[in-house]
Amino acid sequence: MAILEHAFEENLLTTKVDWLLNWAKLNSIWPMTFGLACCAIEMMAVGAAHHDIDRFGAGAFRATPRQADLMIVAGTVNFKMAERVKRLYDQMPHPKYVIAMGACATGGGPYHKFGYTVVKGVDRVIPVDIYIAGCPPRPEALLEGLMALQNKMRRTSIIRKPAQIA
Amino acid sequence: MDFQGIHDHLRLINAPGLLRADEPRAANPEDKKDKGRGGDAYLVVEADALASFLETCRDDERLSFEILADLTAVDPGKDDEDFWMIVQLLSVTLRHRLAIKALVPKDPGQIPSSSAVYRAAQWHERECAEMFGIEFTGHPDPRNILLPDDWPGSPLRKDYEFPTEYRGISCE
Repeated sequence: MAILEHAFEENLLTTKVDWLLNWAKLNSIWPMTFGLACCAIEMMAVGAAHHDIDRFGAGAFRATPRQADLMIVAGTVNFKMAERVKRLYDQMPHPKYVIAMGACATGGGPYHKFGYTVVKGVDRVIPVDIYIAGCPPRPEALLEGLMALQNKMRRTSIIRKPAQIA
Repeated sequence: MDFQGIHDHLRLINAPGLLRADEPRAANPEDKKDKGRGGDAYLVVEADALASFLETCRDDERLSFEILADLTAVDPGKDDEDFWMIVQLLSVTLRHRLAIKALVPKDPGQIPSSSAVYRAAQWHERECAEMFGIEFTGHPDPRNILLPDDWPGSPLRKDYEFPTEYRGISCE
């Protein structure tokens, strides 16, 4: 901060409340440490140095759902796991977001027809914000999904619309 | 020892439940429908005597199968009346293997547990039990191992019908 020291007068910064809150929120999406299958390997690659999810402020993988904002469902969800996924989702504080990563989490993937224990899409258990295609998706695809989620969060507003005030 | 040697030795010591040997053979060139048989040579054993047969294989000095490499089941088809129990034994000291097959009738689908002979059989038998509905009598811990406890049906049976719903989650 040395170059910024003593560079300004005392100032006020004017901005919109929505903009400030969204800016803070979408640049610190903390995902949950949570991988179910091979997609989790790609998710780990995104966390590592080459792709570096920390550039988006989403590199702080939390070991508990109570500190997480984002659940990346990376892999095959079977019925035995679905119950646990639901419980973990319920333990996350609002606002919470879910990314369904890869074909399995989106719609059952290769197990859609004959996988008797595979849930045909995690959206049958918990609400999903972003779907990422691929089997497994490239790390860039997960980053694209993350950016899509950021765009979605950018559109949210805490201010009531005029009609709602009346 | 090779397969023939193991078979002869088991005959010699009068192993309990041993029925016959089944070996791969070439196709008969005169019979066009005969395709022969590939795969491993195996011994066919009486299902009820499987555990004592395995005990003989483990304890005999010239066989000394220390390791139960695999224990699994096969449902050969809807119309077949038997499951196949397949057991693979391995001897590390004597460097030989043996495949064993036992026919278990689907009705009532019971077989004595081998887990007292090889403790490795416990988990394999639990998997067979949930996947095929075979009951292993005398098993010390007959819970499901992979499927949820309340899962309907036995998935690897050929007559298995997929559930349409499980705990409120649709499977359609």
